[in-house]
Amino acid sequence: MNPAVDQLSFNVPEGEIFGLLGPNGAGKSTTLMMLCGLLKISAGAIRVFGLDVDKEGAEIRRQLGVAPQDIALFPNLTARENLVYFCRMYGLKGHVIHEVLHHYLEVFGLLDKANMRVSHFSGGMKRRLNLIAALLHHPRLIVLDEPTTGVDVQSRNMILDYMKKLRMEGVTILYSSHLLEEAEKLCSQFAIIDEGRLIASGTLTEMLAANGGGENLEQLFLHLTGKGIRD
Amino acid sequence: MKVLATIWKEFLLLLRDPGGLALIFIMPLALVIVMALIQNNTFREFQETRIDVLFVDEDRDTLSGHIERSFQASPNLHLITAVSGKPLTKDAARRLVQSGDYQAAVIIPHQATFDLREKTKRAVDELFAYYGLGPATLANNTPAVELEILFDPAIKANYKQALASAVEKMVTGVQAEWLTDAMQERFSGTEPKQKIKIDFSRMIHINQTVASENERAGLVLNAVQHNVPAWSMFAMFFILFPLAGNFIKEREEGSMLRLRLISGSQFPVIAGKFIFYLFVCLLQLVSMISIGLYVMPLIGLSKLVLGTNSLGIALTGLAVAMAATGYGLLIAVYFRTPQQALSFGSISVVILAALGGVWVPAFAMPQIMQNISPYSPLNWGLEAFNDLFLRNASTSVILPDLVKLVCFSLVTLAASVLIHKSRTVS
Repeated sequence: MNPAVDQLSFNVPEGEIFGLLGPNGAGKSTTLMMLCGLLKISAGAIRVFGLDVDKEGAEIRRQLGVAPQDIALFPNLTARENLVYFCRMYGLKGHVIHEVLHHYLEVFGLLDKANMRVSHFSGGMKRRLNLIAALLHHPRLIVLDEPTTGVDVQSRNMILDYMKKLRMEGVTILYSSHLLEEAEKLCSQFAIIDEGRLIASGTLTEMLAANGGGENLEQLFLHLTGKGIRD
Repeated sequence: MKVLATIWKEFLLLLRDPGGLALIFIMPLALVIVMALIQNNTFREFQETRIDVLFVDEDRDTLSGHIERSFQASPNLHLITAVSGKPLTKDAARRLVQSGDYQAAVIIPHQATFDLREKTKRAVDELFAYYGLGPATLANNTPAVELEILFDPAIKANYKQALASAVEKMVTGVQAEWLTDAMQERFSGTEPKQKIKIDFSRMIHINQTVASENERAGLVLNAVQHNVPAWSMFAMFFILFPLAGNFIKEREEGSMLRLRLISGSQFPVIAGKFIFYLFVCLLQLVSMISIGLYVMPLIGLSKLVLGTNSLGIALTGLAVAMAATGYGLLIAVYFRTPQQALSFGSISVVILAALGGVWVPAFAMPQIMQNISPYSPLNWGLEAFNDLFLRNASTSVILPDLVKLVCFSLVTLAASVLIHKSRTVS
């Protein structure tokens, strides 16, 4: 059986937005799951802020915020109840919870919808709330897996603007998406993987220069991974 | 704090799940009432019921008169001698029993009194001849006097036996009286003497007392005493439905993934769910017991008798709730889809309930099932409740069952935590 990822090695500079890109089945989700400690690494190592994922997973998770591709919320709870619960599970207490909630709900335009059940939210509202749930404990590293899938332009701009703001504050963001135009605007560095292997990495300029030019990220991506449909 | 947060979250989720609430509280209450009503007659002893018995008197003499009077004096039998204004005949009685309209008919044949008297006299003559006090007689080989009792095939075996015994007892009483009369006549010869009356019924009295602590005579297992604790436990074990349903839904919807991504032990998540559903189980038990105390007497059923060991009841309730919640949690954690969990869970609870004596008391099961029954957690709980309710047992008596329930709970809880932990990192 072929490993899902093999000989994959890249560095994510601290304080940058790093794009992890690849076609379907390339190994992106596997890589992210290993990084989050949800999947055991059979060989090799992942280090986050100098800590070994395999041995110090709990400490890493304390500094890690994840917004999974699927909405990871309780649909029958209100937005506020969801966030209060996650705050408590993150170990936050008392007035801190109130302040954190107020801040993020306001920033992401959900303050007036805070007492509405998540099951009644639109796709964009769910996606924003899903992101808030990953930010509650002020993580140093944020993993975003398709954070703007199925959201309207306004919601997408709001999410991307806030990611840029977080980067200015020194937060590292690992971003995985199929939306290459969005990735090109947001990320400063990239890793393109296919069939579990790294095929290019660096800034867009560096990757374009190393792979025979091209005009943008999408052209480079198609040049490296081919035009054949993968699913 | 994390445990409390999980308990509150579970409370909110259950509060917003009308189907789950109905399954936990409404359905079990309906179930226990329906089952108690259905099984009410099954649990009744012959002495507690009153059945209609057809009485065909072809004898019209002393024997049939004695039996008729005795039957009429019985609180458990309602004697019917005529139907639709017509005196009953043997054929009519047979048809009525065959058709299922009546459960039994007693037929006293023509000349039964005469035949029985003759047989009694002959027996006395034989006795006197044997001791040389009278002339030799012919052997008493005339056929026995045949009284007939017709039964509906659907009649309960204990009713059948009780009715046959009652007739036999009445005839024996009459025969003993006639035997005494015949002997007196032989001893007194032609001299007229006052007849000695011997009351055979006062010679022996069988005192039936329920063996229980604190002399709680008269309390026996009835439909309410059996069904309330039995179906309460059944309902408590069905806590796995909302528990496993919510757990797997959280896993499928992704909220469980977020909890897995949060640093620290998964124990607060499991413990919070366990404590919340434990509390729900206890609420179920309290509501079911309340039904037994306050509702069942209103619908013609007996009132649930709890006994005097309140501590024992509380501890048993807690132990059963722990076992039920632990089992539900294990099912929730182990199975990956709601279909698997709920199918396996419901069938396994039905099997454990059947083995445990929820449907049919364990003592009424075949021997092989009685040997298996003590391995069901529902049997441990039911035995403890029966000890408390019927036998007024002390806490030390039920302690072995409570220990088994708590151990079962701890094992299932530990297994749940281990399985959940192993699946946190795959």
